[in-house]
Parts: sequence; structure tokens; C-alpha cells
Amino acid sequence: MSTPAISIDHVTKRFGAFTAVKDLSFTVPSGGIFGLLGPNGAGKSTTIRMIMDIIEPDAGKITLFGSSASSRDLSERLGFLPEERGLYRKMKVLDHLAFLGEVKGMRKADAKVKADRWLQRLGLSDWRLKRIEDLSKGMQQKIQFAGTLIHDPELVILDEPFSGLDPINLQVMKDVVVEIARSGRTVLFSTHVMEQAERMCDRIVIIARGEKVVDGTVSEVKAGFGERHIALTFFRGKEVAERILADPALVAKLDDYGASAEVAMAVGVDPQALLRALVAADVGLNRFEVVEPSLQSIFIAKVGNAAEVPAKAAA
Amino acid sequence: MRKIFVVLLRELNARVRTKAFIISTLLLPVMMVMFAVLPALLSRGGNRTLRVAIVDGSSDSLGADVEASLAQQKLSRDTNSVPRYELHRVRANAAGIARVRDSLVAHTGISREHDPQALDGVLVLSDTTLVTGKLQYLGSNTSAFEAMGQLEGAVSRVLATTRLERAGVNPAVMMGAMTPADMQTVKVSDGKATGESGFASFIIAYIMGFILYLAMIIYGQQTLTSVIEEKTSRIMEVLMSSLRPFQMLLGKVLGVGATGLLQLSIWGGTIFLVTSQHARIAHAIGVSADAMQQFPIPSMAPDLLVVFLVYFVLGFLLYGALYAAIGSMFNTVQEAQQVSMFVNMAIVIGFFTLFAVMKDPTGSLAVTASMIPFVSPFVMPARWSLTAVPHSELAVSLVLSVLALLAVTWVAGRIYRTGVLMYGKKPSLMEAMRWIKAK
Repeated sequence: MSTPAISIDHVTKRFGAFTAVKDLSFTVPSGGIFGLLGPNGAGKSTTIRMIMDIIEPDAGKITLFGSSASSRDLSERLGFLPEERGLYRKMKVLDHLAFLGEVKGMRKADAKVKADRWLQRLGLSDWRLKRIEDLSKGMQQKIQFAGTLIHDPELVILDEPFSGLDPINLQVMKDVVVEIARSGRTVLFSTHVMEQAERMCDRIVIIARGEKVVDGTVSEVKAGFGERHIALTFFRGKEVAERILADPALVAKLDDYGASAEVAMAVGVDPQALLRALVAADVGLNRFEVVEPSLQSIFIAKVGNAAEVPAKAAA
Repeated sequence: MRKIFVVLLRELNARVRTKAFIISTLLLPVMMVMFAVLPALLSRGGNRTLRVAIVDGSSDSLGADVEASLAQQKLSRDTNSVPRYELHRVRANAAGIARVRDSLVAHTGISREHDPQALDGVLVLSDTTLVTGKLQYLGSNTSAFEAMGQLEGAVSRVLATTRLERAGVNPAVMMGAMTPADMQTVKVSDGKATGESGFASFIIAYIMGFILYLAMIIYGQQTLTSVIEEKTSRIMEVLMSSLRPFQMLLGKVLGVGATGLLQLSIWGGTIFLVTSQHARIAHAIGVSADAMQQFPIPSMAPDLLVVFLVYFVLGFLLYGALYAAIGSMFNTVQEAQQVSMFVNMAIVIGFFTLFAVMKDPTGSLAVTASMIPFVSPFVMPARWSLTAVPHSELAVSLVLSVLALLAVTWVAGRIYRTGVLMYGKKPSLMEAMRWIKAK
């Protein structure tokens, strides 16, 4: 196996009496998209700031590219989009991007060429000589995104990159992230929106209250979760069906959405048994599907406190 | 090093392109040119030949002497220039003075187009004028102080000369006897005359101190504000991943400093140009070169310039780093000002120490003050200008300043590192101490 892009080894960070990150260890392999998931306040940003060497861990060690150098010495190979976005409001767009390239060690002329290429790709070429403050919020976010990637970093670290984006910009940025991963580079991003992670990530780590809860590839995580889920849609005999679904010998948990339902099978019960019971009771079924558990449901089950998770399903 | 330069350039660019910078930079030169040129332009209109009638009530030659003296007056120092007065003397006996005067006054203050005999004023000399010095002027221009002064001065000189002659004293002997002493002061340094006058040294010392004082107060505050802006705009987070706090701090302080130097050199350059090219400027706007105001530029010895610049940079970095560190601790300028006030105070103390030092540049206060890092940028260049400072003292002072600068940037860098990421509540002094100690 090649050298991991990031390895985090028994890292702890305390702020006064509060422990933000507790004995955290995980490895981000080189190449692909890695999701750092967790509810608000789980320690995602703290972990990322420690990776970027903006703050230092109280205990443990973080290694990038297998090198002992500080991440600031490696900053030419890193692209970082912080959770708190900010730009110099009075600067011109092109100058600003060039400046962000220059502090990453690029030459000014190269940085300008790259900046222009990014502006074109993000559809902002007409704005290159405008001041940042004249741009809309969405445009500013795109500029920031381009600034993170202008020097073609090997490792891209994005803290909540998709928050506050409209669907069109979201799509643009997703495409960029996927493209980086496809070119063999590494992307680590944090999010609390499970749907994004589920669709994009090769590997995930879920942390809660500063501790690691889940670690692995998305399919490993789902397979390891154990629970089997069935999605059902009825057109007839809903009352009868509800009685069957309420049987704890068959069903462990029921999410009733009215015309449809999602159920978790009781441990060790074959989904076939449920299907037989429903057919025998002459329930009209449009759909009976054995589905993988969503990351959302795994997340809620593992993290426990559902109230802390902004429920995407409810939206 | 390159990254510090990148930050410096961005800072410089961002500042130089603001309206405030452009306006304040251009305003001073414009005001200076106006100050130099306006009086000349304004007085040009008032400087015309005056038509004055002299009512000569004297029984001797006084009226004729006054007329002769006034006739010699020209509008400018140029000998080919137009005479200042167009004179017309009317003799009158003691009984007739009032009548003659009134008949002339009737022509006074009337436009020349309506009355070809129009006068600007009537000067009335009586028989007692020589003894009492009393005379009368009735005119349309009595509120023109300068013109009145010139007229009065001319009559005074005639009176003095005439009185001396009557007393049997040769006026030329008297003038010669009254020539005042004129002492030239030359500063001696290391046993050699420097060619600077003592007064010039004093002025230079004062100007240097004042420039430093202004630069620190103005640009120091700008450093502080700019750090706070970076914090509130959250650009800091992006920069923190690419730059070391030390690079950010130094780049910022140097960038603001470079802006200040640029502005000061534009101002300095304008003063130099206005003075050295003043004949051309005068010609261009059509006033005589003599009439234009001059700015005296004291000449500065090269070694003094070097000492001044070295201490200027040292002082600027020292105070700039402090301001930047303070800015990094707070989220609003108002909060920061409660602490930056102490730095302002240190600058004011440094500036005022300068005055004490100028009185006695070799005294123990001056020597001690030129060793203390936060005060020495004000004091040492002044001492260098006013007296011969032993090289050993300069060396010790420089070493101490550099050590202090290193210590201050180190401490400031550590405060900055933690401070820039702290939002929300104001840190206490204890917390700031912890930031410095934190690994």
C-alpha cells in the first residue's frame, strides 16, 4: 500500500476543561474522496485545523504524506478551504486569486494564468477585474473554492465545502471534487449532511463528541452495520400490513411514512418471512425492496442523539 | 522570505489604491504649492501704483523730502519696476491746509474713468510733523495694512534722517553705527566644523522626531485596523494554512511601513521640488520669484540620514509589531483601542523625551534615553544631529534596539498566532500571557 496522505495517531485536543478531540486515530489513504462526518460540535473542524497545523494537538501525532514536516512546510502540496470563509473585499478577483496562489509559492505570472483558467471554468471570467465585494455570495464561494485549488494541491482539505450553496453551484463544486479524486489526488471533506457523503465518498470516518464511531469504506460500513432494511409501498390492505409490521418477532423498527414505510428487520429474521406474511394477508404491494441502510440511518443509530443531526430526510 | 514579500506587496497595493491614500497623498503637495503661490497671486492684484496727493503744510523741505523718498519706491525689488506711487504735491500754509485737503479728498476713492484726477489717498503733512511725528492719511485703501505700513515706514525714515541732520549728525554715520551684531553658529562634530548651523541642527532634530511620531501614530493605527479587518473578514483562516504567523505579521507591518515611506517620500519630494524649482513655478504662473513663499530645507548630512533611517525602520517595526499583536487580540477597533492606548502613550513619551534631549543632548538623561529601545528611535537621531555621539554609544543603542525588536516580534508573533483565531470575548491579560507561553 502507498504512503497514506494523512495519518492521525492517537490525537487529543483540549480547550480548557473541554475535550474537543479524544484519542482519535484514522488514516486517509492516498487518492480518492474521504469523508469526515459528524454532528455539529463533534470536533471535525478542530481535527482539520490540527491537520493544517493551525492548532497543535495536546497529545498524539499527525503525519502528512509520511513526512515529519509541519503541514505549513508542505503547504504547497495542500489546498485548504476553511469553514469560515473570507476574502479581501476590496481586492480584484484576479489579483486575489493570484495572491492566494503566490502565498502557496507560485510565481505571480503562473498564478494569474491559473486564476484565469479557473474563472473561465466557474463561469466568472467577466468578473475578473471586479472587486470581491461586488460579487454575490455564491460567486464569492466559488472564488474561494478556486483559491483553494489554484496551485493544484495533491491533498485538498475542505471544511464543510457544500454548506450554503445553491443546487447549481453545488453541482459545479461536486464535479470539481470528483475530478480531483479521479486524477489520483486526495480530497478530505467534512460534512454533517450524510447524503452528500454517501454519494461521493470512498471512505468515511464518523466522529461524535471527539471520538471515532465508524471508520471504513462506505460499503464496509454498510455491510458491517448488520441491520437489514426493507422499503415498502402499499396500494391495498394498509391496516392489515400495519398489524404485521408491528410484530416485534419480525420487525425491529418501523419508519411509517403513510403510503410507504421503511422497516428494519429483527435480528436473524429472513426478509422472505415478512414478504410471505404480507402476501398471505393479501396486502397489495407496489414495492418490496431489500435496501442497504442509508448513512443517515447508520449515523443516527451510531451517534445516538438524533436531535443533534439536522435531519436531511425531513427536509 | 518570498512569502513575506508577497504579503508586503499585497498590503502596499491594497493601501495605495484606496481613495483615502490618493487624496491624502495629493492633498498635502497641492496645499503646499497653494501656500507658496497663493500669497503671490493674491498680492499681485493689490500691488498697483497708488496715486497719492501730498498736502505739504511744512515751512521747510520736509514735504519735498517725503515726496523724493516715496518716488524712489518701486513695486518690486527689481530696479526697472514700476514706481509704487504716483505723487502730486500741493503746498499749503497753516490756514489753508484744511481747505486744500478737502478739495483733494473730493477726488479720492472715485473710479478713474469718472474722474481723470481721481486719487487713492491724500497724505497731509503739517508744520509740526517733524517734531511730533504726527501726520494724516485719508484714502480709499486705509484698511490695506501692508500699503499703510510701507507708507508710514517711508515717512518715518525721512523724519529720522531730517532730525539727525538738524542735530548735526551725518545720517550715514548713524546708520553705520546702528548695524546689529550677526552671529553665525556652526556645529562642530569630532573636531570638524560640519557646515550646519546650530539652528539648522535643532530644526532637523525636531523635524525627524515629528516625522517619526506622526508615522508611528498614523501607520501604527493602520496596522492595527488592518489586522482586525483580516480577522473579521475571516481571511485569516485561509492565510494561516499557507503562511506562518511570523510571516503574516512581518509582511503586514512592512507593508504598512512601505506605504508610509512612499507617502512620506512623495511629500518630501514635493517640498524639495517646490523649493528647488520655485523660480520656474513662479514663472509659469506669472508672479515674480521673490513674491513666492520659500520653504527652507535644512541640509542633512549623509551620516545623519543613515542614522535617522535606521532608527526609523527599527522604531517602526518595534511599534508596528506591537500594534499588530494588539489588533490580533480583539475583534473591534474600539476594544483594541483600550490597549493600544498604552502604545500610543509610549510613543508620546518618546516624542516628549526628545524635547528634553534637545535642550541638553549630552546630559545623562539624553544618554540614557538613547539606550532605551522604545525611546531611542526618537532620541538617537536627534542627538546625532545636535552633538557628536560616541560610536560606542551608537553601537550599544543599536544592539539593544535590535534585541528588543527580536523579543517584541517573537512575543507579538505568538500572540498573533493564537489571537487571530480567537473570536468572541475579549482576552484578559492573563490569557494573553498564556498565549505567549503556549507551545
